[in-house]
Amino acid sequence: MKRFHRLFALALSVVLCAFCFASCGGSGTNYAASNTEYFIGGTGPLTGDASSYGISVQNGAQLAIDEINANGGLNGVLFHFEMKDDQAGEEAAATGYTALYESGMQLSIGSVTSGSCASFADRAKDDGVLFISPSASAANVIATSENAFRVCFGDPQQGTLSADTLVERSVKVGVIYDTSDPYSTGLYTAFELRMTELGKVKDTDYVVRTFDKDSNKDFSTQVAALADAGCETIYTPIYYTEAGLIAKAAAAQGFNVPIFGNDGLDGVADQLSSDVTANVEYITPFDVNATDDATVAFVTAYEAKYGSTPDQFAADGYDAVMILYAAMQKAGISDVTMSASAMADLIRPVLTSADFSYTGLTGSNMTWSADGSCNKDAKIVKVQ
Amino acid sequence: MSTLVNGLCLGGIYALIALGYTMVYGIAKMLNFAHGDIIMIGAYAIISTLSLTGNTLAAIIAAIIICTLLGVLTERLAYRPLRGASPLAVLITAIGVSYLLQSIAQLIFGAQSITVEIGSLNAVNVLGVSIPVSSLITLALCVVIMTALTLFITKTKLGCAMLAVSEDRAAAQLMGINTNMIITLTFAIGSALAAFASTFYLMQIPSATPTLGSMPGIKAFTAAVIGGIGSIPGAMIGGILLGVIEKFALSVPALAPYTTAIEFGLLIIILLVKPTGLLGKKRREKV
Amino acid sequence: MTTPVSAPEKKKFRLKYYINYLLVGAFFLIFLIMDMTMGLRTSSVQLLVKIAYSIILAVSLNMVVGFLGELSLGHAGFMCVGAYIGCFCANYLHKVIPSPLVVLILAMLIGGVVAAVFGFLIGLPTLRLKGDYLAIATLAFGEIVRTVFKNLNAFGGALGLTTKRYDNSLYIIAFLVVLFTLFVTQNLKRSKHGRAIEAIRDNEIAARAMGVNVTYYKLMVFIIAAFFAGVAGVIYGHLVTPVSNTFFSFNYSIEILVMVVLGGMGNVSGSIIAATLLTFINVQLTTQLSGDMAALKYLIYALILIAMVLWNNAPALRDVREKFSLHRLLAFLNRKLHPAAETPDAPEIADWDKIPTKIPMDALLSTDIKPDHTFEADKPEKPSK
Repeated sequence: MKRFHRLFALALSVVLCAFCFASCGGSGTNYAASNTEYFIGGTGPLTGDASSYGISVQNGAQLAIDEINANGGLNGVLFHFEMKDDQAGEEAAATGYTALYESGMQLSIGSVTSGSCASFADRAKDDGVLFISPSASAANVIATSENAFRVCFGDPQQGTLSADTLVERSVKVGVIYDTSDPYSTGLYTAFELRMTELGKVKDTDYVVRTFDKDSNKDFSTQVAALADAGCETIYTPIYYTEAGLIAKAAAAQGFNVPIFGNDGLDGVADQLSSDVTANVEYITPFDVNATDDATVAFVTAYEAKYGSTPDQFAADGYDAVMILYAAMQKAGISDVTMSASAMADLIRPVLTSADFSYTGLTGSNMTWSADGSCNKDAKIVKVQ
Repeated sequence: MSTLVNGLCLGGIYALIALGYTMVYGIAKMLNFAHGDIIMIGAYAIISTLSLTGNTLAAIIAAIIICTLLGVLTERLAYRPLRGASPLAVLITAIGVSYLLQSIAQLIFGAQSITVEIGSLNAVNVLGVSIPVSSLITLALCVVIMTALTLFITKTKLGCAMLAVSEDRAAAQLMGINTNMIITLTFAIGSALAAFASTFYLMQIPSATPTLGSMPGIKAFTAAVIGGIGSIPGAMIGGILLGVIEKFALSVPALAPYTTAIEFGLLIIILLVKPTGLLGKKRREKV
Repeated sequence: MTTPVSAPEKKKFRLKYYINYLLVGAFFLIFLIMDMTMGLRTSSVQLLVKIAYSIILAVSLNMVVGFLGELSLGHAGFMCVGAYIGCFCANYLHKVIPSPLVVLILAMLIGGVVAAVFGFLIGLPTLRLKGDYLAIATLAFGEIVRTVFKNLNAFGGALGLTTKRYDNSLYIIAFLVVLFTLFVTQNLKRSKHGRAIEAIRDNEIAARAMGVNVTYYKLMVFIIAAFFAGVAGVIYGHLVTPVSNTFFSFNYSIEILVMVVLGGMGNVSGSIIAATLLTFINVQLTTQLSGDMAALKYLIYALILIAMVLWNNAPALRDVREKFSLHRLLAFLNRKLHPAAETPDAPEIADWDKIPTKIPMDALLSTDIKPDHTFEADKPEKPSK
């Protein structure tokens, strides 16, 4: 009888699985053939530790889609946007990518975080899908495929720029970075390289402490070490959640030195409590307090829809969609059922051409090199 | 020196969580993987009450009430129906409860970390080392709670009943002890301790995310095992030892990335020398 | 499954020995045929490979947890070792050997063997530990491995090790490995070693007294399980690139344990079913819930988990469970269809191996005794595994 039970259960699962996912279709199928709207997709962490970044990107991108659709889409054809949860993991990003591609995704904003975007890029390369990632900054994300682009700065670019800026201020720098995060290690590696080039010596000109965000978020030890070493600035090449905690830990110890960071720090303003008196500044392409029309309109719309202040992730997500839209317009795309690879072949030359530039929230006159990186200016934003 | 102080503070938090773990394990004989998430819920309770009333004390009391209720509720709904079933089944439900609490927290409070200002963050100077007041309170309260728990268990009738249940549940029942009530009580105490832990956690690390509890939970579990799971002073010693080791590892730049490995390595080494933890009782097995 | 008392009888074909091969084989063949004739979608292939390595992990962990009776929470750690080392070697082998298939097989061997060596190294000292202490020690091992790989720049550091993905026929190899895993576990189980291991699970001291070399057998199980976890890791590394440490956190170890527990301890078919279903549910939840709905994923998953465990294990639901069990349904259908046939529910002859070794005192005593409680005769139950 027990055997019957088992047999039944197994047979059931076989039938169930075979029924549910065994849809056929080999390579070369145009999954977009039955699209009635242009389909833009992407993956990002919507649950788990990194989810605030993914949700920001999703909100920003959705806002852009809403705006495009409100203005009649592209030649009257509307847009559809979908974001799958990858929990900042490679495996889920691959799964999410395939699911999106097979439900007709034509263009993509890739993944939010570097690791999952590398996995996404690897899969997208096979199908020739073009994507422009809002925030995956690691070098290898765009290196794998000619169809991979990004909106944000690359890690090497930013790390070098940070080193230059800090050296110019001729202060003793204390660095705290996250060894478990590709973004942070990427920035730090570039920073260290540049410091060595500039003739600065580790431990005398700059002091380095690390943490592992999977393990602990109590920064008292690292901050105390930097205070003991007499650092005059803390450089934090990390995301804003932890940077806020570092600022608070420093304030608790009465160690009120300026904090300097990169675009990941955008959004830190909400994380600071009133006892933090130190200057917090960061290199970023986006300033939420900027007074230009585009930013003001974006911030107003974002706050109205989601009830929170947008950060750089949201702006990057918005820009990523808008750049795709602009490129589609310029490429003269008119067939909503066009396959993803065909669309990529039309849009890639437009994006990389010298006369295509885009002015948005995260930079003006952005252009793209053939390797997929974005050329734009950075600004330094100070938290008031 | 400041590393030692910081380590003690962190250790105090671990010790508090570990106390909850060890109580539940000792009496209900189950690994309550959802304990860390009760701390997370406690943290959110504090934050919400604080933003509503602005009163720290009210917030802490609210957190204690919510955590205790939550602890009792999960015990009633998820663990009690499985009394008598295999311990692994209970372990899996505990994991399920942990996922459930995390996703509920994300649905209600969002994924963004919420920052909070709690308590006085002033530092006092003792012997040339600045020590945050919150850390001093954490440590002091830890000792107080531990003593109170030990007294409770050894001196009161209920405490003795708890001991009896942990020693031999069947025999305790035969002696007329209401084991179900005792286990519920244990969960209530463990969860109340979790509420204290979330208070001190927020004093040390003033921001909350839905996944806040999982790593401290695992670390505290490690601490409880180092001290000998089921032993109250053991949990305290294990927690503080772990906190200090963690801070010392973090203060050496070359070792800092490997902090987690060092902590867990310490656990393995201690278990190899003393297979039941530092203060764990050795049980003779009978055939 | 119980081992028959070995009498020198002629080898008889018994369905229950082969049922797992047949079902996994049938499952695999359906897709193979579909692939040959119409081609499979990439998503189906991904899901198949995931199911395959989940089965390998669940079956191998079941050897440790269900079969040997030791709780291990470090299975993802062995997988991590296998994935990193195996794929690292594969990256070099690709330069020497042109055939990706040969590289994959070599990488699986290397990854498996290195994981097995780790299994030995960690098993030798920690198997002194009992129960939950062993569980936390293995969990610690898994986290140590992950932390070390996270910080080694040779393995890509935090970003992970870039690997060369295998093409869409990876699932064929993965399923062949599943069959091989089943072959090894089932034969081990039915051999004299298997009986020794079961003796250790049921009563270690008694087994030792009977002359069973406890350490040897424990290590054997640990090493074999680690080997297959390592192989599963290599398969993972050929499905997803980059291989990054975050995947192998203790949460994943727990996920594998969930498969084992839901499938039934020591029950190989159960592990296969549970691994298949849970992987399927997981992937469906990830792909179906997009955007703002994604936060519901864990909520649904958790509810399914709790409901399944309660349904399967709660003592209070035993009657309900039996009333609605599948085999009762089948018996009912059988009666309906063949009213003449006598239901063959004759009491089974006492099999010696079916008599439990321990009287479940805990279960007997934890029932509330009311004043007018009528006591029932104490009769040995069938073991519930």
